[in-house]
Amino acid sequence: MTTSLFQRTFDLYAAPPNPGPIPFSRLVRVEWAKATDTRAARWLLALVAVSTVAIMLAPILAPARFDQTYTSYLEVASIAEVIFLPVVGILMLTSEWSQRSIMTTFTQEPRRIRVVKAKLATSLMLGTGAAVFGGVVTAAGLGLAAFSGQALEGTLSIGDIAGYLLYLLLNVLGGVAVGALLQSSATAIAAYFALNAAAALLGTTSTLVADWIDTATTWNWVLHNEWGGHVSKISVSVLFWVAIPIAAGAVRTLRRDIG
Amino acid sequence: MITTTALTKSYKHIPVVRDVSLRCEPGTITGFLGANGAGKSTTLKMIVGLVRPDRGTATIEGRPFVELPNPTRVVGMLLDASAMHPGSSGRSTLTIAARMAGVHPRRVEHLLDVVGLTDAAEKRVGAYSLGMRQRLGIAQALVGEPQALILDEPANGLDPEGIAWMRTLLRDFADRGGTVLLSSHLLHEVQATADHLVVISDGAVVTAGRLDDLLASSTILVRSPDPVALVHALEAERIDYVTGPGDALIVDVCGGRVTTEVLAGVARDHQVLLTELRQSESNELEQLFFSLIKAATSQEVAA
Repeated sequence: MTTSLFQRTFDLYAAPPNPGPIPFSRLVRVEWAKATDTRAARWLLALVAVSTVAIMLAPILAPARFDQTYTSYLEVASIAEVIFLPVVGILMLTSEWSQRSIMTTFTQEPRRIRVVKAKLATSLMLGTGAAVFGGVVTAAGLGLAAFSGQALEGTLSIGDIAGYLLYLLLNVLGGVAVGALLQSSATAIAAYFALNAAAALLGTTSTLVADWIDTATTWNWVLHNEWGGHVSKISVSVLFWVAIPIAAGAVRTLRRDIG
Repeated sequence: MITTTALTKSYKHIPVVRDVSLRCEPGTITGFLGANGAGKSTTLKMIVGLVRPDRGTATIEGRPFVELPNPTRVVGMLLDASAMHPGSSGRSTLTIAARMAGVHPRRVEHLLDVVGLTDAAEKRVGAYSLGMRQRLGIAQALVGEPQALILDEPANGLDPEGIAWMRTLLRDFADRGGTVLLSSHLLHEVQATADHLVVISDGAVVTAGRLDDLLASSTILVRSPDPVALVHALEAERIDYVTGPGDALIVDVCGGRVTTEVLAGVARDHQVLLTELRQSESNELEQLFFSLIKAATSQEVAA
């Protein structure tokens, strides 16, 4: 088996000599492949898709309980997605640590920050993909509702769509941030839901937490395109849930010994 | 070429690797030998930037690993065959490695064939045996057509046929000018594969050199029908010895001062009959190995 190993490959498939640095686009392509080609990953993405479709039936089957508007339908689509998208974001950043394949990845690209950036970019791509899928499901839901004779209020501004997209991406990033910081799938998933529940609980007693930290308040302003007077509160929330933990996680990733 | 200078690492103030300096030349296979926990893996991980040394440096082909633009094109690594994503197939694991290295995807099929995993290529790595993962790991190490290989316990989990196959592969790689550094806790494994040997114990290098030299220079076996007379003769000449197999004695060469010729002369001068006088055979290198480790440990205790 061995005799042909080097000759054949050197001759036929020889790579160009003196390779330069790995292009960032290649790192993203590789991270995309890792995020989508395992069975567990496909199940998770399928779960996002199926739950989005399933929940879209609610405003169609129970029209009295939902505003029959385009924005209301879009919001329904986001409900299912924000349950699972944070988990997608968490696993994006943690699964290689939990499976220990991070060891291989960091020998392929020892500039670890580039790998973190590629994982971040891939998460945003997955989030955008989920948003587009949610949009398609919403359109189908609206079509079905119209077909079944519902009178729909058909206004949907660019701001509404941008708010919806941003809301989903913030939810992905919230997961990414906890994952980047904790570097363990189980711990990060538990911590994500516990922290959000804690913020919601504290929010009931403290308006300070409710208005500045609890994402059920702050990120819903984003979803509903209600930026007026909320920009600073939304920014603090983003700092707290996204920017700071991602920065701390990046530092931790750069410094960590991989044994 | 792989070099390290005085690599040193402590975990929580406990030294794990102490002043390890290595030099692996192109065209050679260096066996990095030590008991489990001696610091082999930590040293290898410092060479490839996974663990940051407290002190010391390491270079591959003249550059620190973390400065190599695309490292897997320069050095192939098999550090831990269980550190692969169990949900990915063998083929997609290799495809990712090929993409990162920027080599032709056709090389994946070729390497699967080379390591005998073509039929199992679509199976999840989680369903692989340790031996299969080890083969996949070797394929992954070779994917970037590197000039150097760093392998941590590559024989783990391989059957005898697989071990023989890997030896041939590594010999072939070295004969083409490649540099190989492999670790093992099994002396006979290293002996069969490597031509250079570095023995590490408690984080420090205790001996290093060409395997042939170490084998030849290590000890001499000497046997007499009258062992008591032989012992007296050696003691009279201040030659150190330990008891060997049967009633034979193992004599330390003391850095070349003692040779078979010297011992023959001692026997003649003291009129001791010798029935055996030869360089110790390879299986006795094991004793050397353990005595080195023991010596290092007892020095530690004495210090």
